[in-house]
Amino acid sequence: MNMPFILDTLRQILAVLPTTLALFALSVPIGCFFALVLVWMRMSSNRILSGFSRSYIFVFRGTPLLIQMFLIFYGLAQFQFFHLPPFWWILVNRFATAVLALALCTAAYSAEIFRGGLLAVPSKEIEAARAIGMSGFKLLRRIIAPIALRQALPAYSTEVVLMLKSTSLAGLIGIVEMTGVAQKLGRRSLEDVGVLALAGLIYLVVSFIIILLMGLLERKLSPHLGVMPPRAQTPRTIVG
Amino acid sequence: MAASSEIALSVKNIHKRFGQHEVLKGISVDAHEGDVISILGASGSGKSTFLRCINLLETPDEGEIIVAGEKLEMRRNKTGHLAPANGKQVDRIRSELGMVFQSFNLWSHMTILQNLIEGPVHVLGRPRAECIEEAEALLQRVGLAERRNYYPSHMSGGQQQRAAIARALAMKPKVMLFDEPTSALDPELVGEVLRVMRSLAEEGRTMLVVTHEMSFARNVSNRVLFLHKGEVEADGSPDELFKDMKSERFRQFVSGQQH
Amino acid sequence: MDFIDTLINTVSLLGFGKTGWGLYLLAAAGMTIAVTLAAIVIGAIVGSFVAWAKLSSNLIARAAGNAYTVVLRGTPELLIIYMVFFGKVVDAVGNTLQYLGLGDGTIINNFLAGALGVGLISAAYQAEVFRGAFTAIAKGEIEAARAIGMPRLLRFRRIIVPQILRFAIPGLGNVWQLSVKDSALISITGLVEIMNAANKAVGSTKQSFLFYTVGACLYLVLTSLSNQVFNAGERHVAKSFRRPVGM
Repeated sequence: MNMPFILDTLRQILAVLPTTLALFALSVPIGCFFALVLVWMRMSSNRILSGFSRSYIFVFRGTPLLIQMFLIFYGLAQFQFFHLPPFWWILVNRFATAVLALALCTAAYSAEIFRGGLLAVPSKEIEAARAIGMSGFKLLRRIIAPIALRQALPAYSTEVVLMLKSTSLAGLIGIVEMTGVAQKLGRRSLEDVGVLALAGLIYLVVSFIIILLMGLLERKLSPHLGVMPPRAQTPRTIVG
Repeated sequence: MAASSEIALSVKNIHKRFGQHEVLKGISVDAHEGDVISILGASGSGKSTFLRCINLLETPDEGEIIVAGEKLEMRRNKTGHLAPANGKQVDRIRSELGMVFQSFNLWSHMTILQNLIEGPVHVLGRPRAECIEEAEALLQRVGLAERRNYYPSHMSGGQQQRAAIARALAMKPKVMLFDEPTSALDPELVGEVLRVMRSLAEEGRTMLVVTHEMSFARNVSNRVLFLHKGEVEADGSPDELFKDMKSERFRQFVSGQQH
Repeated sequence: MDFIDTLINTVSLLGFGKTGWGLYLLAAAGMTIAVTLAAIVIGAIVGSFVAWAKLSSNLIARAAGNAYTVVLRGTPELLIIYMVFFGKVVDAVGNTLQYLGLGDGTIINNFLAGALGVGLISAAYQAEVFRGAFTAIAKGEIEAARAIGMPRLLRFRRIIVPQILRFAIPGLGNVWQLSVKDSALISITGLVEIMNAANKAVGSTKQSFLFYTVGACLYLVLTSLSNQVFNAGERHVAKSFRRPVGM
């Protein structure tokens, strides 16, 4: 493992970093959206909606992501039904299918995290809002959602980092991403552990950056937990 | 409560610093057998720290501790601090000193019977059957016989503290140390614990009690130690301190305690 | 009668007869349980050391412990399993055992690689569980043990360990679930556990939807069963530890 080799390997792995990041950058927001839908269904008074949501979460949290991915990529293609648009637009494309599978999986975990955030909103603060006449969507948007978001953010940050790691599974359905490339390079050069470790290093650096960014987000959303702002200047008044 | 002339516990010149702050500035006490010494003082006067130095839950920076004639060997370690020289001696001496804590500190994963026999069986190595017999007698003594298989979380504070006292007694200690035994109890539960402590005093046990209970200090103990800012401000019989009021600071302290 | 045909076909595929994959899949489920158990045991041993390091007063130990958790929780599981599988360590064990005539070296290698990979990952999570459980022990109870003259090792064995185990049950339940799911990645070693069994069945019959669904169901059974077991364990232990009365 000499320097030229290390640099060359890094170059090759970093060449597919964009793919990994693309998988990540697409699946996180899509998964987040699905999760919000799931939470809304889960908290609904409609038995069918909440039942579906609970089953969905149960299944997607109780099975490995790998089998979910294979099921969606290989399994669905068996049925003519899925050869029709709009399904086929996604399934015919490996990348899109991977993003879909990742998003569907994170939706379940994120939904539970958001639900936890909602349950952590102090009922007293909701009461206070109701007491001044706030209700419905306004109550949700101005009081409940912001508080729930802040409560859920730490756990959601962990989930987001996990999503980065999950992109490595896309390699097993044929997408050229960092883990797959590292494995092939390792086998070819017989310096398996070294090459894989280099890839690991890149993942660590990227996750570190993600954690920093999420931390910044957390701080931005919680000004009441941070440093006290300087006292506002009161205008001097002329007395007597 | 006649005290014999044997010295059960001798503590000389204990100094203790926390960082820059010197909490104990040279405290000495000689406890004769049968002495029941109440240690009083305001918060921050160092009374709990002093008690915890005796069984080395805190390590004093200066001083000597002699239990039943045996001196605890200390040495200076690399940083210049005092440390016990012989770990086995520390364990042995601790087993001769019984301690009762403010927050009871019963082991929550054991029933109170198991709590009582834990020390005798696993530290003293005595036969289990014997220890169980003695433990049941002790539980009877403190009025908890029917609860022997209860877990601490199933009992009230007063019951837990009585069980903790029984646990300390099970080790057959030479001296008993009480660190504010009733401070964490609801007022109506304080009495049952004080009653047990009084009966221990009446049977001639040597006790050092850090407390805020003036009635205990005045009526049950035969000596009162009043600490002020880490020093012994007054040391005498309850009459000397409470009736004669020789110390001005003590008078202020007592009047501040009235409620 | 197309639907009936499909139904009969499905049942025979899953059945235990000559064309049936049922037995094969169930055996694979057994392998999943076995390799996950092995992984958890490895993880418990390594995790205890890491937890001890993180709680240590020694700066280097703490840094090492923290480094372990950061690295193993931040690196993709697949990458770690590749590293263990392609690394030379595990091969040595398997080849020795094969040389001694104690079994098929390849299978042992794959099993060990899988168990070690998932085990090292779970160790990072188990370390956090143990560390949290230790800090949850009431300091006063440890003090009471010191005050009674209990020497260190005895204190650890009689007071600290039982309490750590009690507090760790919920966390360990999560780690077990996590490891069962991670075990699907062991399929890349060639070991026949659920994922790989499904792969092989699909490869042979082309019935991808059926067998991946069955595989998923097997995992679901495993995760929900273990959930029940851990919840029962938690309840059993909680019987002794209800909220204290009137303090």
